[in-house]
Amino acid sequence: MAEQVSRLGQWVIAGELRWRKLRQVRVVLTALRVIFPLVLIGTLADLVNRSWLTPTGYYYQTLHVTTWLLRRTRLQQGILLIQTGALGLAVLGVAFAVSYLLVAGVTRRTSDRLMGGGLAVLALEFLNVTPATLRAGRPLEWAAMNLGLPGLALGIVVGLLVGNLYRWGVRRWHHPSDALIRPLTLGTLGVLLTAFVSLLWLMRGPVDTTFGPAAWLRSTLTGASDWPALLGVSVLNGGVAWLGSLSPLPSTPQQAAMAAQNLATVLDTGSWHLPHPLTGQTILQAYANMGGPGMTLGLLLAIFCVTHNATQRHVGWLSVLPVLGNFNAPLLVGLPVVLSPVFLLPFLLAPAVCLSLSSLCLALHWVPASAYAFAVGTPGPLISYLGTGGAWSALGLAVVNLGLSTAIYYPFVKWAAMADRQLSEEATNDAMG
Amino acid sequence: MRWVKRYRGLGVILAVILLLSVPGLFWRSEQTRAARANYRSAMAPVILVPGSSATQNRFNQLVKELNTQTKTQHSLLRVEVKTNNQLVYSGAIRRGDRQPFIVIGFQNRADGLTNIRKQAAWFAVAFQALQKTYHFNHFSAMGHSNGGLVLTLFMENAMAKTGAHADRLMTIASPFNLEEADPKVDTPMFTQLVAGRQHLSKDLVVYSLAGSQSYTGDGIVPFDSVDRGKYIFQKQVKSFTQITVSGANANHANLPENQQIVRLIRQDLLD
Repeated sequence: MAEQVSRLGQWVIAGELRWRKLRQVRVVLTALRVIFPLVLIGTLADLVNRSWLTPTGYYYQTLHVTTWLLRRTRLQQGILLIQTGALGLAVLGVAFAVSYLLVAGVTRRTSDRLMGGGLAVLALEFLNVTPATLRAGRPLEWAAMNLGLPGLALGIVVGLLVGNLYRWGVRRWHHPSDALIRPLTLGTLGVLLTAFVSLLWLMRGPVDTTFGPAAWLRSTLTGASDWPALLGVSVLNGGVAWLGSLSPLPSTPQQAAMAAQNLATVLDTGSWHLPHPLTGQTILQAYANMGGPGMTLGLLLAIFCVTHNATQRHVGWLSVLPVLGNFNAPLLVGLPVVLSPVFLLPFLLAPAVCLSLSSLCLALHWVPASAYAFAVGTPGPLISYLGTGGAWSALGLAVVNLGLSTAIYYPFVKWAAMADRQLSEEATNDAMG
Repeated sequence: MRWVKRYRGLGVILAVILLLSVPGLFWRSEQTRAARANYRSAMAPVILVPGSSATQNRFNQLVKELNTQTKTQHSLLRVEVKTNNQLVYSGAIRRGDRQPFIVIGFQNRADGLTNIRKQAAWFAVAFQALQKTYHFNHFSAMGHSNGGLVLTLFMENAMAKTGAHADRLMTIASPFNLEEADPKVDTPMFTQLVAGRQHLSKDLVVYSLAGSQSYTGDGIVPFDSVDRGKYIFQKQVKSFTQITVSGANANHANLPENQQIVRLIRQDLLD
């Protein structure tokens, strides 16, 4: 039985299908699927490290981990190894996969495909060098795996640039005289070109590849203490995450100072009339970040409200634990939400609606503002309850926000599932025809 | 029961959220205590206590000297505690100054065991009043001569009640065994300080400075009496450092103006 779809839904599905059929997009989405296991393992390790093994973690504090866990430091070192390795490799992997798949579209030769992928990894590594150490006689500081999830967008961009260049080279040189001459020539030229471009980049130093985007985002949050500013930060953070730079909500010294003044008021005077009721901590963190940036806990719940979406549910099950600790990278990469037009609107809208409603409730003094520090890994709905020292009204508002965000995501999840089905049907028909 | 099958996944996730929330709900009652234990106010004053017979103006020159040597100018508040617990203030704490100097002096500033004990009690009165006004919960302190004894007695006997945390303590020529030069004799003051040492914070960083004008002391306090600080602080606080200063201005009265000591205060007490 055909499902009834609204006009908006039909328009969204058609747009999604057109988008996903673009070669470059198809390649990026396939590459994201390839690195999904690395992102999942790395994020799980990050969750365990920061919520179980670090003093600011939710389970560390609530389950008094230090009293019963032996060799915590050694365990933490092991977990950090997995986290850094998996997430670092994910960024290199996405650059490799994107470039490899682009080259694969124009040649069957494995040597060319591997050279295309390898060049993308090399270009990414060339960018990730400490420029100050680029001097003869000094050891080069070569940071191989430090990019982590915020560097995912950079990996995609480098993969696209290098892959398309190599692809262009292959198309210009159809029939090489020898199987190895083309990868040898293009590879050598590619190394020289990427080294030259990277050197120019490093000498100019326009953006630090590791901290640049994060620092830029943090600067927008500096002193944000009213609704429009917080809304701007939320939309900006969501937009950057949608583009593939996955990082938690930024924090700044000014935000930390405001949080400290709020806590001081509560502890010193016992009053919940805080000097800074609207901040990143009191609004974004407490009410608009359940499941991670984009209110992705709402997305997870919406996935399990929709039917006939086996792939989405599969990714949902795999991402349950990280998302319940507000680490949403696996869900964003697995579905994917990253670079998917169908999810862009709810991804920005859900936190915006939640923060607006919460700001209104705070302004009307229906709920107290959050003053206690947020423990990493706290289940989404509980963040505001613990932040307000146990105010049931705050928990109630969090549940309302969760319901709202689930409702906002629901139709889009349904339409994404329909687009998925349509694409797989078309693929099956193509294979048969 | 199609709807059960349809929403089974949703139910499981909601149940997991509830389950993971249980530790947080039980921990809630401990939260305020944990936050209070870890909380440090933005203001952390440096409290200065002069020795016997010196007034609350004793450190005016020292503060002026320190302010010429540091990037941030710190304000100075002086408090005199009257014998009837009344407080008389002079000077002021500048708004936004996170590390002001507060000098606490006493109307009865006479020497002697009984008076030092009284001064420690008066110090507690002033400390609580200042804490109430300026909302600080941690501080550093410097005591010259008997001022060091007053601070040590306060930290052992009265500080726990205030909920404050002492970060750093610097005693300058403090006679932990009073003026007793014989190393075999323990004065009641020393016995009392040793008996109360287990109440000293494990997070406290202590510096004990001694002046060496002659080879046995600073002209007033015997070196052995200052050295006795190790029996009070060592193996009890986070770290305990003893420093002996000689050369110009190494006699007991001039030690707070001694350039080496000014440098040590700037280096070890100020942020």
